[in-house]
Amino acid sequence: MSRLICPFCGPRELREFEFHKTLPNAGDTPFERVYLRVDSLTHSVEHWQHIQGCRAWLHVERNPSTGAVLVMRLATAPGVA
Amino acid sequence: MPRYSALALLRARFQGARYWKPLWTGRTLKAAYDVVVVGAGGHGLATAFHLARDHGLKVAVLERRLVGYGNVGRNTTILRSNYLLPENHYFYEDSLRRWETLSRDLNYNVMYSPRGVVDLCLSDGDMITASRRGNAMRLAGIDSELMELDALERFAPELAPRRSRRFPIVGALVQRRGGTARHDAVAWGYARGATALGVDIIEDCEVQGLCTEAGVATGVETSKGLVRANRVVFATAGHTGMVGAMLGVPLPIETHLLQAMVTEPIKPLINSVLIYVHPGHGETYVLQSDRGGVVMGGYLDGFPSYTREGQWHRLEEVVQGAADLLPEIGGLRILRQWAGTNDMTMDGSPIMDRVKYDNVFLNAGWCYGGFKTIPASGAACATLVATGLAPDIARGFRLSRFATGHLLDERGGGPFPVRL
Amino acid sequence: MNAPRQGARLSATPLRFRFDGRVYTGQVGDTAASALLAAGVRAMGRSVKCRRLRGVMTAGPEEPNALFTVGTAPAVVPNVPATQLKLTDGMVLETQNRWPTLRFDLTSVLQLGSAYFGAGFYYKTFLLPKWHFWEGMIRRLAGLGKAPGRCDLPAPSLEHSHCDVLVAGAGPAGLAAALAAARNGARVVLAEREPLVGGELEFEQAQIQGRTSAAWTAAALLELARLGARVLTDTTLVAGSTGEMVLHTEPAGMPGAARVIKLRPRALVVATGAVERMIAFVDNDRPGVFLLGAAERYWVRYGVAVARRAVLFANHDRVYVAAGRLAAAGITIAAIVDTRASGALSAEAQRVATALMAMGTECLAGSAILAAQGRVRVTGATVASLSAPGARRVIACDALLVSGGWGPAIHAALQEGGSKRYADALGAFVATDAPDWRATAGSADGAMELAGVLHSGVAAGVAAAAHAGHRGAMAATPAASGDPAPQLQPFWRSPADETEEKRQFVDPQNDVSVADLRTTLAEGFIDIEHVKRYTALGFGTDQAKFGGQLGAAIVAQLRNEPVPAVGTTKLRPPFHPVTVRSIIGHRSGARLRPARVTPLHEWHVAQGAVMEAMGLWMRPRYYRANGNNATDAGIVEAGRVRTKGGIVDGSTLGKIEVVGPDAAAFLDQLYLTKASTIKVGRSKYMVNLREDGMVLDDGIVLRLSAERFLLTVSTGHTEHMVSHFEHYRETEWASSALTLTDVTDAWAVIVVAGPECRAVLASLLGNAWAETLARLRHMDFATGQHEEHDLTVLRASFSGELAFELHCRPAIAMALWASLVGAGLAPYGLEALDILRLEKGYLVSSELNGQTTPYDLCMDGMVALGNPCVGRDLLDRPAFHEPHRPRLVGLRATDGHSPFLGGAQLTEDAVTAVPAGYVTSSAYSPALGEWIGLALVSREVAEGGVLYVRDPLRGGDTTVKVVSPVHYDPKSDRMKS
Repeated sequence: MSRLICPFCGPRELREFEFHKTLPNAGDTPFERVYLRVDSLTHSVEHWQHIQGCRAWLHVERNPSTGAVLVMRLATAPGVA
Repeated sequence: MPRYSALALLRARFQGARYWKPLWTGRTLKAAYDVVVVGAGGHGLATAFHLARDHGLKVAVLERRLVGYGNVGRNTTILRSNYLLPENHYFYEDSLRRWETLSRDLNYNVMYSPRGVVDLCLSDGDMITASRRGNAMRLAGIDSELMELDALERFAPELAPRRSRRFPIVGALVQRRGGTARHDAVAWGYARGATALGVDIIEDCEVQGLCTEAGVATGVETSKGLVRANRVVFATAGHTGMVGAMLGVPLPIETHLLQAMVTEPIKPLINSVLIYVHPGHGETYVLQSDRGGVVMGGYLDGFPSYTREGQWHRLEEVVQGAADLLPEIGGLRILRQWAGTNDMTMDGSPIMDRVKYDNVFLNAGWCYGGFKTIPASGAACATLVATGLAPDIARGFRLSRFATGHLLDERGGGPFPVRL
Repeated sequence: MNAPRQGARLSATPLRFRFDGRVYTGQVGDTAASALLAAGVRAMGRSVKCRRLRGVMTAGPEEPNALFTVGTAPAVVPNVPATQLKLTDGMVLETQNRWPTLRFDLTSVLQLGSAYFGAGFYYKTFLLPKWHFWEGMIRRLAGLGKAPGRCDLPAPSLEHSHCDVLVAGAGPAGLAAALAAARNGARVVLAEREPLVGGELEFEQAQIQGRTSAAWTAAALLELARLGARVLTDTTLVAGSTGEMVLHTEPAGMPGAARVIKLRPRALVVATGAVERMIAFVDNDRPGVFLLGAAERYWVRYGVAVARRAVLFANHDRVYVAAGRLAAAGITIAAIVDTRASGALSAEAQRVATALMAMGTECLAGSAILAAQGRVRVTGATVASLSAPGARRVIACDALLVSGGWGPAIHAALQEGGSKRYADALGAFVATDAPDWRATAGSADGAMELAGVLHSGVAAGVAAAAHAGHRGAMAATPAASGDPAPQLQPFWRSPADETEEKRQFVDPQNDVSVADLRTTLAEGFIDIEHVKRYTALGFGTDQAKFGGQLGAAIVAQLRNEPVPAVGTTKLRPPFHPVTVRSIIGHRSGARLRPARVTPLHEWHVAQGAVMEAMGLWMRPRYYRANGNNATDAGIVEAGRVRTKGGIVDGSTLGKIEVVGPDAAAFLDQLYLTKASTIKVGRSKYMVNLREDGMVLDDGIVLRLSAERFLLTVSTGHTEHMVSHFEHYRETEWASSALTLTDVTDAWAVIVVAGPECRAVLASLLGNAWAETLARLRHMDFATGQHEEHDLTVLRASFSGELAFELHCRPAIAMALWASLVGAGLAPYGLEALDILRLEKGYLVSSELNGQTTPYDLCMDGMVALGNPCVGRDLLDRPAFHEPHRPRLVGLRATDGHSPFLGGAQLTEDAVTAVPAGYVTSSAYSPALGEWIGLALVSREVAEGGVLYVRDPLRGGDTTVKVVSPVHYDPKSDRMKS
């Protein structure tokens, strides 16, 4: 997976992007959200940033065993506050 | 099994290949054990070795693939105990002491080479940070020296520390007893030692589930059938996250990729282990194997992965850092790049504790630094499993520490494994 | 002197080179190997472990033996394959692994021990007294060439480009693929490792579409040029994946690319050919043993006959046509030893065999070479029938030309998906299960006859073009006739006594023999990955290209299992060795990373500032005029700020503007205290927490207007903080209406501090500002214009003095700075800044180290305000409130004068090993006339008392009093004056 498709910029090299974190999937308490992970060999949901490009924050779903990118879209999520 | 010595080589010379016996293969899986250890990497094998030797228990090591096929055979072989926090440095020092005698203890040459580990400082601020760590080590009785340029030039002349560089070197924290060992030999030596003590090491045997009765683990389901066990230890390194998923226990662990690379062999050029971390460039460590190849590594590839395929641009950054340290290597060629999966915890320190059940244990979370701790980890984990109580030097590695706040965060990086 | 040799790669122009001290003559176009072979040189190196004399065996990069050190010390390049190295006039070459000379080698005493140096012997010995005792000696014996003392290779040029289809390899398959793809409209790049395209066509006397292979190749190149395809010779695909293929052009055959191309093709065709295999027989490593194909190449390309009288050894039909060509070149073919039973030959092979027999060649079917004769060079072959291996005889010859078949070069076809499949007819693995963006063609795909090769090339080219969006008809495959089908029957090793197996070499570079494989299996290393690690099979510079398949097949034989059950080891990147210098490119020396400088940088340098890196930023540490070192100069500069005033360049400070109706509410979530309560025109010192509750950063937040804030963040931390804010803006609070802009470079910052600073500023900025300056209270700011440029003046202080931060546009920064200097305010650097902030107990990264909570840093009051921000929840964890948690305190030497340093540990008595804390930073305070410090100490000792400073690394143990972190002007009268 050395190329990712940014919703704004199109196909770009991996080196332009930065992984930030795996999205919480182990519960909703602050501790669970920050510290705990339920690991999967085939599916990982993450936030990345197109840090050396348009700086968009991206919602990325990948298969960590193959590197295949399953979903890549803007991270924009409904307000929480 | 013949004891290894120069004499044994002489005998083999005349008796041929048949003089040698398999180190660990050929054992059959029994129906029940005192302890089943899952994972025949360094930590699993060392744990099994100590369970058998120190506690006299009947042990099986179940391995999905091959002995030593994971991180124990993929790391850059660096040994050191230059840690800041007391919960870490006493443990790592215990390990370093065990390395000093490991070849004789196992009757297997693991090629422990105390050539010195040089942590380079690139600013006066680095020197202060290094001093904090080095002084903490010295108070704990661990060798550590802070070198300014003159001393560093004498210790590591190949580095030419005064040479003009983008990030000039101002000094280093040096641990002379740190160094390297031959990684595969550690797996093979422990496997041989454990087998001689009656441990059954079973390869191609995947653990697929944990059997429980009334809240107590009773054994494991494997690809070779059911195995009963009074206690189960998971030492599965980069697959610890999957153990959590199997047990239904979320863990403070993410699985990340770390790569390394090596050049063709040359005559001696680098005599110690050189480590360099710069916020503007990243991390690079360089050493020369006994075979002669220049081995390089850096920080994680940067995102969760089980692929074991390192990203080329990360290789470029690591090699660029290495060549900034040692421009001489410019004419050498990278022959091979490889990667391993690392069980990165949310504070960068390991977990050695019960998990979910009173008789199920986790020896995990060694992040990218597990190789050096194998001897201490095996002994400590065996004590925990056999007696129910971890030795003092491993008490900090509790699973509950993330919830209670007793974090062991050497770098101050917080719950973000990829942040350098 | 002889007439110049004729060859496809040669010009008649002579050149001279030095080899192990002797001068030889070659011709322009020669490789080191071809010129030395032409000069009759056979011995070209020694093996590492057993120090056996070795000659060149191949004509390609997989060469295991003939590796030279090129150049003169210290600027040498070791381990260069003689088969690749193109000679230049005056080149200096040396053989490796011998001392003092190749022929008279004292280290060959190791040969005596070779009986003991079987697989794994290292693990069984050197146990006493300890490995490190022996290690130095062993390291000197190990390794191939000498370590370079310097690297003089030039940086390559770097090109980034795109295409539709990359074809790796320009043999017949690659040419056909490139043509097919280009004809369908694809933009094609065709990369060929060798200096000329054609591959096997170079010596396979084939007919394609009624033309000679040379004519067809020339026509193909013309058509490719016409279709706009790009043909790159001397260019190897070294690494890459879907996103980016890395191509290195190495025209010199030396390590070090002249050009690196990062190519983003939409599709890849792997047409990288196949590598010929050796057969294991006794002493198959002697100088004079060649691969058959190498002998042909040396003749066709370089006009070198590697033998006068050769014995050929193979397991397929191709050996006969090759023999015919070599005979035509004037080499006497003494015998063809064919492992297959008689009757296996195709009609064409039989025709050649009959012709050769008429010329005196013996054709031995069902036979094998059991051993090579001769120590320094081959003098004969011991042959026997496989049905009666006891009946041996020796055929005199001066070279053995061996071919055990071919292994498809599938390395590039196994990355990112794809697996391998055993092809029985080849006795080799071919790539399969390719992802849709990749196809394999030609012999790399297992096609061995020209018609099939061309067909697979066309099919791959059409498929690749289609994947890249250029669909087109499948073109007709050109009609072709070439060498016959190999009719190969796998044959891996000749019969031998077990005692001789240690001389049956599988991987000569690492001296891996059949005996090693047998020992390894006996010790239970069964899996091929274990065999590899235990024996070093495939660890050489050829990365298993030479001996990997042979070794795996012999392991299969010894295990009595089929070859596919054993498999081969995982091939790791790169596909081809990559020179470090080529990877570095321009990223070396000062260009490793860019340096960030402020608008005042040149002034600082011109004024003798000693610059210090902070992340990528460069900042003045001190000015040489004020002292010879940082400590002395810092004391002078800091003292001057307190007595009179000074200026410091604060431009590196990170600045982020947050604008919008939701800006205040947003910032409330990201700071420990509320931003929404700041009044317009006011500012506040605020801290951010990390998600886990640790203090992340601190800075001053200015409220520019109701919906506009300027955040300042720590130098070197800006990029991270911008991302941190952006992340929350785009995820958790994505519906918030606000923008975030990093304005760090839009504003230069000059901090003016000291008792005289207001007066100086007032006179300098003029009447319009004088009134404002008088009005501004501590933490007030004002915006306006100066010299027709925006200017913000913030009254805030990190020195404890009355101070103003001037945020001005970079365009006027230098003029403003110069006028301040002209008005008598002397510049000070980071060292003085550090002293001043330490005197006031202000925090920097030494305290904000990612390990400290706000409680640790005495920010209880801020937490108590109860703002529910990011990180707040996890602050309630019990460990953060235990007595051993650290607390920020001040330190003073108990004797009033002893120095103590940052990084020293603190204990409660002089002997305990248990630290009670540590010194985070310290300095000599010119204002107080003594050493002061900040420390993080256990709460149990934070209330006061005496601690021991323990600094075994640097010496200087002393005792200190625990005091308030605010050492100077605790009521801040000066700052608020």
